[in-house]
Amino acid sequence: MGTARYIARRLIFSLCLILGVSVILFAMINAIGNPVEVLLAERPGITEEMIQAVTEYYGLNGSVTDRYFTWIWALLRLDFGTSIIYNLPVSEMLVTYGLETLKIQVPAILIALLVSVLISVLAATRQYSRVDFGVIASAMVGHSMPGFLLGIVLILIFSYSLGILPSYGAYSTRNPLWGSDVADALWHMVLPVGMLVFFNCATLTLLLRSSLVDVLRQDFITAARASGLPERRVVFGHALRNAFIPVLTYLGILFGLMLGTAPVTETVFTWPGLGALYIMAIQQLDYPLIMGATMVITVMLVTATLLTDIAYVAIDPRIRLG
Amino acid sequence: MSDATLPAIAAPRQRAPGIWRQSWYRFRRNRAGLIGLAMVTLVVLVALLAPFAAPFAPDDTSAMLRGAARRAPSALHWLGTDRNGYDVFTRMIYGARTALAVGLGAMIIASVIGVIIGGIAGYAGGMVDELLMRFAEFFMVIPVFVVILAVVRLFGIVVVGTWLEDIPNLNLMTIIVLLGCFEWPPIARMARAEFLRLRNSEFVEAAHCIGSSRRDILLRHILPNAMPPLIVLVALGIGGAILAETMVSFLGFGDPRAVSWGQSLYFNYEALKVAPWAVLSPGAALFVTVLGFNLLADGLTDAFNPRTRQ
Repeated sequence: MGTARYIARRLIFSLCLILGVSVILFAMINAIGNPVEVLLAERPGITEEMIQAVTEYYGLNGSVTDRYFTWIWALLRLDFGTSIIYNLPVSEMLVTYGLETLKIQVPAILIALLVSVLISVLAATRQYSRVDFGVIASAMVGHSMPGFLLGIVLILIFSYSLGILPSYGAYSTRNPLWGSDVADALWHMVLPVGMLVFFNCATLTLLLRSSLVDVLRQDFITAARASGLPERRVVFGHALRNAFIPVLTYLGILFGLMLGTAPVTETVFTWPGLGALYIMAIQQLDYPLIMGATMVITVMLVTATLLTDIAYVAIDPRIRLG
Repeated sequence: MSDATLPAIAAPRQRAPGIWRQSWYRFRRNRAGLIGLAMVTLVVLVALLAPFAAPFAPDDTSAMLRGAARRAPSALHWLGTDRNGYDVFTRMIYGARTALAVGLGAMIIASVIGVIIGGIAGYAGGMVDELLMRFAEFFMVIPVFVVILAVVRLFGIVVVGTWLEDIPNLNLMTIIVLLGCFEWPPIARMARAEFLRLRNSEFVEAAHCIGSSRRDILLRHILPNAMPPLIVLVALGIGGAILAETMVSFLGFGDPRAVSWGQSLYFNYEALKVAPWAVLSPGAALFVTVLGFNLLADGLTDAFNPRTRQ
């Protein structure tokens, strides 16, 4: 099977996935009962007429299939409806909050990659040494450390004990650091990004180290050394490129994990991102916001998986497509 | 009879150690695995002996009445008291019970679903295999944690006023069932690979030849041999499920009536600055448990599969 056909197949499967999630989400919310009744269940003093009026206002009086297609058709035109609680277009809110989430997650993954490459090269070229064992042990411990606990510890140390970094929010409400908004934003990013870097680094280092150890034993490395290449080029040029392949597939999973647990991360740091928005939406039962946020998170996850799948075949021609 | 011939005739040849015993020999030499086993044993013992180990009752808030809420660790309250007047050490010990119930409950459900789906896919092959594995892949890509949060919240509203409301700890059980229903795909994939490998092995062929029923072949010949890698996944999954439940509770969607580490974290996070011990203690317990299960799973991988050892 050719690469183009493989990519087309993955693309179709991804679209099916997104569609499937949308059906399940919609069915789940409707199976639970009339959204209006659920919405008003926790608010006393509601009359039958008010329920009628609200149902009509949100266009909820058609059949389930009709409403599903109306919703999906609106989604395709990027119309996510209006938030019930905030009375703002959901699409606008998703963009604003989504950018805040990416603002900490993308730098975190990039920095983590860089750091884990350096650490694993250090460990793998000194296999079974004290450095190597130290790296494995601390990566194993870090891998098991739940991210949000680490965040709490970081806040205790850097915000409460030392008082040098802010413990919450993405911006200062007044008096930004050094009078500069950029410096202020960066200053607020340090703790959440630091936590995510540590969280990603531990797992990436474990993977990359064992992959590097494997590659460094192979014949072509011996050949490269025998041909008189400097060790630095053997490790960084030849070995690292090959050791990276299994790590690459993991990047998609890691990004998904980070996005999936964004609600926790953003609660710890009171970060105004997609996860925090999602928590507010389900606490307040803001249906358009719940459905919009879930769809956006799903699309981001599926895209990450798709990109890693494609990158995988692009990098390693040995992989049999199927 | 001379002594020289005796051993050769009389002493029966010792039976070769089986797969489990061999694995135990290898596991015993793995330091990380043993540390993990010790940590897990500690958590299990603490959970079993909670009423004897805990200095106070889990619902004892008398410290509040004495005006001793949010007190730092002391001789009376070893890990201090939290903002509700609970003894932090007691709540930490009782939390181990909830954690293990969540981990075991979720993984039992996940294993049953995973083995059935994976087993059928691997043994049947063809179109059935393709469909079931696409189905599993679907569950691996959707944002599980996010979906669980929404379902727990919505389900909590739906049950109000129905008979379901009378079930004790309904909320916690919902979380357990949901975790089980979402954590099965890795088990199904592994079960499929193992069933596929064993389906064509010689001893299964031999069982076919002597006329064993298909049920016997699946349950008595293939399943026991497929167990080792599945056990590793279950050990990993228990830690994962405990972590997930704690995060759900930490966000405030947990069971308010359950004594769990996540609940303690949720109630005390606001008071982090004043009473950090009330947050750090359940956090440390969670960390030890998750690390224990991860190390145990790591040791088991090496023990069951010596070739992957590096």
